[in-house]
Amino acid sequence: MAQKRTMTLNLTKAEMEVLGDLAQRKDLSKTAVLRQALRLYQAVDERLADGGKLFFEDKESKKAEVVVL
Amino acid sequence: MVNATLLDGLRPSDLDLIERGWSPYRLRTLERLLRSGAPREDWPESLHWDWSKKRADLRLLEASGFGIVCNEDWQGVLMTKTASHAARLPDDTGKPIVYVDYVEVAPWNWRIESLGQKSRFMAVGAVLMRTAIRQSLEEGFRARVGLHSLPQAEVFYRNTCGMTPLGRDDEKQNLLYFEFSSEQAKSFLDQGGAS
Repeated sequence: MAQKRTMTLNLTKAEMEVLGDLAQRKDLSKTAVLRQALRLYQAVDERLADGGKLFFEDKESKKAEVVVL
Repeated sequence: MVNATLLDGLRPSDLDLIERGWSPYRLRTLERLLRSGAPREDWPESLHWDWSKKRADLRLLEASGFGIVCNEDWQGVLMTKTASHAARLPDDTGKPIVYVDYVEVAPWNWRIESLGQKSRFMAVGAVLMRTAIRQSLEEGFRARVGLHSLPQAEVFYRNTCGMTPLGRDDEKQNLLYFEFSSEQAKSFLDQGGAS
């Protein structure tokens, strides 16, 4: 695994709560949640930059909703 | 038993090197298959792969490349992703996994019965699958690993690795999706000793 560097992060109470909730639900450390978020953001951003589109599909109606980042 | 080196952090240029080493053998294999008249369903399903076309994926933070080198040749390659797929097993649904995007052994390690070709090196695929499990442990994903299997490899993932098949995926060429639970992965890891 690549060498890591440490940084301090300032988050609001609401952001901390979401981070804590995601860490619990995803069975991850808070650092790992943020790392996952960064990876996902980059992957989506690269696809959008290449002209791709991101959308969510409703399970029942199969209706697609385009998401803009 | 031979000594081999497992490399991580493969770069796009490594994929070019790998393909340069493998493509002549792929071509020779194709020629031999054509001459033999072997039915298409017996042809190795990754015969048409080209690792150099996957180089763009390695720009992504979520993508990792691993390779095994022995006798100065690449013997197998693994590419994983860590953010764009989630676990599907009932107890783990939605949790992060290491997703095996591509894994392939060198063409001279393919076992092709219609050509009487045996693997030059055995267990390369198993070592790469254990590498994916170790990556999952290092990421804090508790050894969870998932993949879509090509039909010819289903027996390997089911019987050799002990993964759970979770149905065919119509959004992924109807390939069968397999997943390691933490327990299954650790059991497979234990079987391999240091490999």
